[in-house]
Amino acid sequence: MTAHAHGVSTLESPAGQMALVDLIDRLLGGGVVLAGDIVISLAGVDLVQIRLHALIASVRADMAGVITP
Amino acid sequence: MSDTGRYLYAIGRGMDDTDLSSVPAIDDGRLELVRHRGLDAVVSTVSLDEFGEEGLKQNLENLDWLENVARRHDDVVHAVASTGAVAPLRLATICLDDDGVRARLDEWYFALEQVLDRVQGRMEWSVKAFSAPVAERGPDLSSLSDGGGVGAAYLQRRRLATEERQHAESAAVACAEEVYEQLATASVASRRLRPQDPRLSGHEGTMILNAAFLVDVDETAGFQAMVQRLQSLYAGMELVATGPWPPYSFAMLEQR
Repeated sequence: MTAHAHGVSTLESPAGQMALVDLIDRLLGGGVVLAGDIVISLAGVDLVQIRLHALIASVRADMAGVITP
Repeated sequence: MSDTGRYLYAIGRGMDDTDLSSVPAIDDGRLELVRHRGLDAVVSTVSLDEFGEEGLKQNLENLDWLENVARRHDDVVHAVASTGAVAPLRLATICLDDDGVRARLDEWYFALEQVLDRVQGRMEWSVKAFSAPVAERGPDLSSLSDGGGVGAAYLQRRRLATEERQHAESAAVACAEEVYEQLATASVASRRLRPQDPRLSGHEGTMILNAAFLVDVDETAGFQAMVQRLQSLYAGMELVATGPWPPYSFAMLEQR
């Protein structure tokens, strides 16, 4: 099953590579959490995620502006 | 305090030193194995200017930096997955040295063994369901009563539109629930993730389901067939299945 193009290029993986948003969701929200020696607080990570989503959103908006006629 | 640390990508079992020799590490470092009690932690050396607390705080907000690190991390996790069971670590897990890595393997030994057993021979699939945007329909004048005047007609129209939208939404949610339940029966484990914003998903419809499924590698065809069946059953929504991925969503440690 493939994602359909609607003018905005989709971040769904064409050749097995995960979409960045899926990857980030999993790398920050999943995986094994071991407290390393460098500790970022969970609250901090949540904030990072929110800021990140805003960032990706703005990047996507930029891309859309470039790609769509 | 040293100015370098060890970045932990993933933990595997029974790996060879040569398994990862062709896989690039973050910052063009070299991947190494820290072996302890049968567990293999995949690490590389990183600068603490970049991966220390202060550096991380700033870098995590830099999308280019983040994407680069995330992709490298993911490539390594994929490579480890190709050798056998893999427990991916959360992004940016840093220990100061290999003793620190071994201490973590000791502390979490049983939980890590449990995770590796759980994901052995299994991969993660993502299934998202999108409902088409509910069209703003024009007023259905035939159902409007006379004599209410323009204001009343407007309010009634609004009420009808709202009811229609709510009905469509709850129907879509029920369908998404059914899709999730059905796919859960075709998988070993399942998890719901937060639906993504349309600006992030790059998809016009509303994401009504963002789910992850842990699927036996041998059952992949059956799982995909189930997705196809559900897609034809629920023509009103679009299902997007992607995978197979390393089991990121199923590598959480159980509380001891």
